[in-house]
Amino acid sequence: MDNKNAKKKKGGVSQFLSRFRGLFQAGAALLTNLHLPNFLKGGIYQGKGKAVCVPGLNCYSCPAASGACPIGSFQAVVGSSKFSFSYYITGFLILLGVLLGRFICGFLCPFGWFQELLHKIPTKKISTKKLKPLTCIKYAVLLFMVVLMPMLITNDVGMGDPFFCKYLCPQGVLEGAIPLAAVNSGIRAALGALFSWKLGILITVIVLSVLFYRPFCKWLCPLGAFYALLNKVSLFGMKVDKHKCVSCGKCAKACKMNVDVTKAPDHTECIRCGMCVRACPTKAVSFRYGFGNGNETDLSAEKTETAKQISDTEKE
Amino acid sequence: MKTTKILTVLTAFLLIFSLAACGTSKDNKKNDGNKKAEIAALMAMEPGTRDEATELHQKLMEQENAILSENSALWEKVFLSADKGTAMIEDGGNYGDFLLKTIDGAKDQFTADELKLLNEGAEQIREIEGKLTVLEQKFPGCGKKPSDGDMSVPAENGKPTEKGDLMKFPAFDGKDLDGNEVKSSTLFAENTVTVVNFWFTTCSPCVGELADLEALNKQLAEKGGAVVGINSFTLDGDKTAISDAKDILTKKGVSYKNIWFDSKSEAGEFTSGLYSYPTTYVVDKNGNIVGEPIVGAITEKKQAETLQKLIDQAIANSNG
Repeated sequence: MDNKNAKKKKGGVSQFLSRFRGLFQAGAALLTNLHLPNFLKGGIYQGKGKAVCVPGLNCYSCPAASGACPIGSFQAVVGSSKFSFSYYITGFLILLGVLLGRFICGFLCPFGWFQELLHKIPTKKISTKKLKPLTCIKYAVLLFMVVLMPMLITNDVGMGDPFFCKYLCPQGVLEGAIPLAAVNSGIRAALGALFSWKLGILITVIVLSVLFYRPFCKWLCPLGAFYALLNKVSLFGMKVDKHKCVSCGKCAKACKMNVDVTKAPDHTECIRCGMCVRACPTKAVSFRYGFGNGNETDLSAEKTETAKQISDTEKE
Repeated sequence: MKTTKILTVLTAFLLIFSLAACGTSKDNKKNDGNKKAEIAALMAMEPGTRDEATELHQKLMEQENAILSENSALWEKVFLSADKGTAMIEDGGNYGDFLLKTIDGAKDQFTADELKLLNEGAEQIREIEGKLTVLEQKFPGCGKKPSDGDMSVPAENGKPTEKGDLMKFPAFDGKDLDGNEVKSSTLFAENTVTVVNFWFTTCSPCVGELADLEALNKQLAEKGGAVVGINSFTLDGDKTAISDAKDILTKKGVSYKNIWFDSKSEAGEFTSGLYSYPTTYVVDKNGNIVGEPIVGAITEKKQAETLQKLIDQAIANSNG
């Protein structure tokens, strides 16, 4: 306990957040999927919570899910014959994007956590640095599969299919189809070619996750793409103290999303995981929250911590 | 650092295995020996009054259904190979004997283990049937009226009943979309078979199968059956929902009855428990749900075949 407190004092909020990120992820995954007994019963929760979206990618049809998936809801509303655009969900996503940005990917998304856990399986790991162009695919997925296709490809009564959910989303198979089919023979009987296709996608993502770090987040996730666009204006961001930085390049090397935080602290690919924060030998990298370019604003707690640290070093 | 890595891997495996465990735990097969003892205990009972006899009758029927539902896939094969021409349902004939004969006739379709299982089950059913006959002789009518409960036994003379629990379709007292009264008590009794389709207005696979259901309704009309739709949005008679639903139904050329009822009614609670749409139930004349509901659109060939089988069985139940 003493040790922990000492560490926290030394590094401040940024160090604490990045150090215990795994706990945040586990907690968020649990809160997003509170109704665990439903896994045995085979039903899904359909109460009032489902009127609200969760921040991460988490299937509505997961037996345990406590809220709705923002991407799923968006497609459902856009695709329905009654509405042409889902203002409520877009607004909600913009709000989350501005408040937190891709911090949601790094800390709150259950599917991100799932991929990270898989990546901890010890094998030879492959860098994705050379595969950078693939990161653009997710914007196409967002634009076409989530927005345009459900909106424009409609049947005779004006309804569109939720293309992303139906044809691509591996989280839907993992959380929805598999657990529900395991306990419900009716659903098992309905499984067909579509299920095989998506199970194939899930298995591919699982295998790739072991080899690469968060392949789905980097290349395919439309929700990540949405938050990425807002990452630049997000209140939550990274800050590099130019006076402390010794340009050693350790932060860029530590970054598994291939971002150089000293060059682009608000890069679209940065998921605020804080690996650079921990890698920095001079503690020059930290999280920031609020308006401004990050030089003046700071996590208030951290300010005092840094001040204390400086005075400490002076004493020494 | 190493320990955290190992711990995470272990947790991941634990999660995966617990998921896998969930999958199997549902198939709670009763202990075989346990079941046999239960049946033996029931067989040894000698009821003194008619009520006791009725209760015992019902319990024995439940055991019979349990035997059939335990290996339902195998039994289904047996039923399929049954020669429909023979007088299987002859009055007084023992259903267990019929099963044994049918199994013997189709024995090359099964492995030795499967045959053993089937024969054991059929023997048990034969014994139970024997007891039932004795009961009915001693207390006439005890098999006719199972005490009121949610479990009911439509298979009066021991006809094959598909998988598992036989359940009455929940009661309702509702209206069709034009405001005419529809009651569950009379609706099912009017038809040899009623195909109940649950859907909602903004569900694209549901809307996609409406045309097929309309065709099915026409086809069923010749056999004295009907299709009935229940749009979950229209429950409690929501006016805008009803007009939206009607709009879609006209566009799709649907002529069969669509109904709504109170969401607090028995059927209303039942509807709010559904989470996959469309879902289609087949109900026989006695108001019993036949087999398992069909989840997903019936436009798929496999699903349409299953539905046809259920319909045939419902008609057989209704005529029996």
